[in-house]
Amino acid sequence: MQPTLSFEQAPPISVPYRFFLTAPLFGAVAGLILAWLGPAAIESRWSPGALAMTHLIVVDFMLQAMCGSLLQFVAVVAGANIWRPRLVAAVVHPLITAGAVFLATAFLLERQLLFLLAALTFATAMGLFLTVMAIALLRTPARGMSIYVLRLAVFGLLVTVVLGVILATTLGLHEELQSVWSLLTLINVHVAWGVGGWALMLVIGVSYLVVPMFQLTPAYPVWLTRLLPAGLLLVLCLWSLQLLPGMGTAQAWQSGVVIAGMLLAGLFALATLWLQSRRRRRQADVTLIFWRGAMLALLGLAASWLLFEALPQLGGHARAPLWLGVLALPGVFLSVIMGMLYKIMPFLNWLHLQRQGGTAMPPPNMKQMIPERAMRGQMRLHFVALILLLAAVLWPALALPAGLAFSASCLWLEWNLIGAARLYARFRDRIRAAAAGSAAAPAQS
Amino acid sequence: MPEPRLIDGRGMEPPEPLELAVAELGTLAPGEELVMLLNCEPLPLYAILDRSGYRYRSERRADGSNEVHIQKA
Repeated sequence: MQPTLSFEQAPPISVPYRFFLTAPLFGAVAGLILAWLGPAAIESRWSPGALAMTHLIVVDFMLQAMCGSLLQFVAVVAGANIWRPRLVAAVVHPLITAGAVFLATAFLLERQLLFLLAALTFATAMGLFLTVMAIALLRTPARGMSIYVLRLAVFGLLVTVVLGVILATTLGLHEELQSVWSLLTLINVHVAWGVGGWALMLVIGVSYLVVPMFQLTPAYPVWLTRLLPAGLLLVLCLWSLQLLPGMGTAQAWQSGVVIAGMLLAGLFALATLWLQSRRRRRQADVTLIFWRGAMLALLGLAASWLLFEALPQLGGHARAPLWLGVLALPGVFLSVIMGMLYKIMPFLNWLHLQRQGGTAMPPPNMKQMIPERAMRGQMRLHFVALILLLAAVLWPALALPAGLAFSASCLWLEWNLIGAARLYARFRDRIRAAAAGSAAAPAQS
Repeated sequence: MPEPRLIDGRGMEPPEPLELAVAELGTLAPGEELVMLLNCEPLPLYAILDRSGYRYRSERRADGSNEVHIQKA
């Protein structure tokens, strides 16, 4: 028996859509920064351009899309009551957007004041979002592995944000503040929780529901649904021990911890690909192909990490972390997000229009909400951009075409999503006009 | 008693069964029955049926799927 979805708790459509329609724009900006700065942006993970692009993608693209989805998903899947979703969205959405712009500009221009503004903005936005989300997830009567993993993901986001705010404050006050931790230790733990504890944990939690239900596959084996989140949490806790005094970052067991984390990630990718190979329907839609691409990128990430561990000369190269970053961010997470947006927006359009029009004015077919050709074209461009980004890590001279291709792919995604939102608005207006017409008709007769 | 209409949504990708059901509801005659076979409990469909004046009963089958019988109220 598969889990169920309930749409009676769903927030107004404007709540998730404002996040969805903002997210791709900042991916486009990240691509333009790469094209503008060229090879200098990808000299190492510490270059101002690389740090700015990374945070535009992880905060303004991924966090925007994931917060919007979570507001929708938690209400629908967990049947949880989100406290005043309109108000939460109205506060959190502009603050995340502004915070990420402050942060990216702070990295590019190396301005301390902007780091402090970013820290303040994120602390406010995420403080509200995490409080509302934690209460909703803890109070929900719903049970099941997806809910437990979503709770862990929200905890992962909390740890990431707290460490991120400490980091931004440290960078903003570096003359005045002597942190008890080295910057590298803080960054190590912040990145691990952001990528593993928040983003990957969320993808795992969502996949338990979405992959069997929407891709018509068998369910994930129960032992695996327990092992993945528990194992990942253990890995993250062990990795965080470097925050303890005298622990340092170069202990031999620490590399073993990361290898265990990568093996878990690889196991999740293999299991998902295996389930997808056993799906009941042969036809593959864009969401499925995006998921497959993401899982292949996750396998590539795990394999690359193991290779870098085995060959320290290769792993020690200044651009090796960028290779991993491209596989993780545009490769795994943006692919899943793009695929999910193409499923979520038509679905929400259909459900909200059906609710308004009833059986008298049925909404357009879900497959007509975003043209199939447009989605497939954008998907191909995204994967071409991903290959170009990986190639640019190897040959930085390719930074310009890689940045432009990535930017174009994000803009095309934006265009497709705007099309779905406009179709919703057009049809909603038609339903309202018909209702107004039928209300006026008896008065005239 | 007319033969019930059947939508076997077990091999369909959500919300295709829901779309098909809504299309069928509009032409369902009084006394006529629509039967749906689904892998999940269709909570969004129940909400639509409640709002639109249809009655339904759901049975869990031995294979874990759901059989939903729908008629005009």
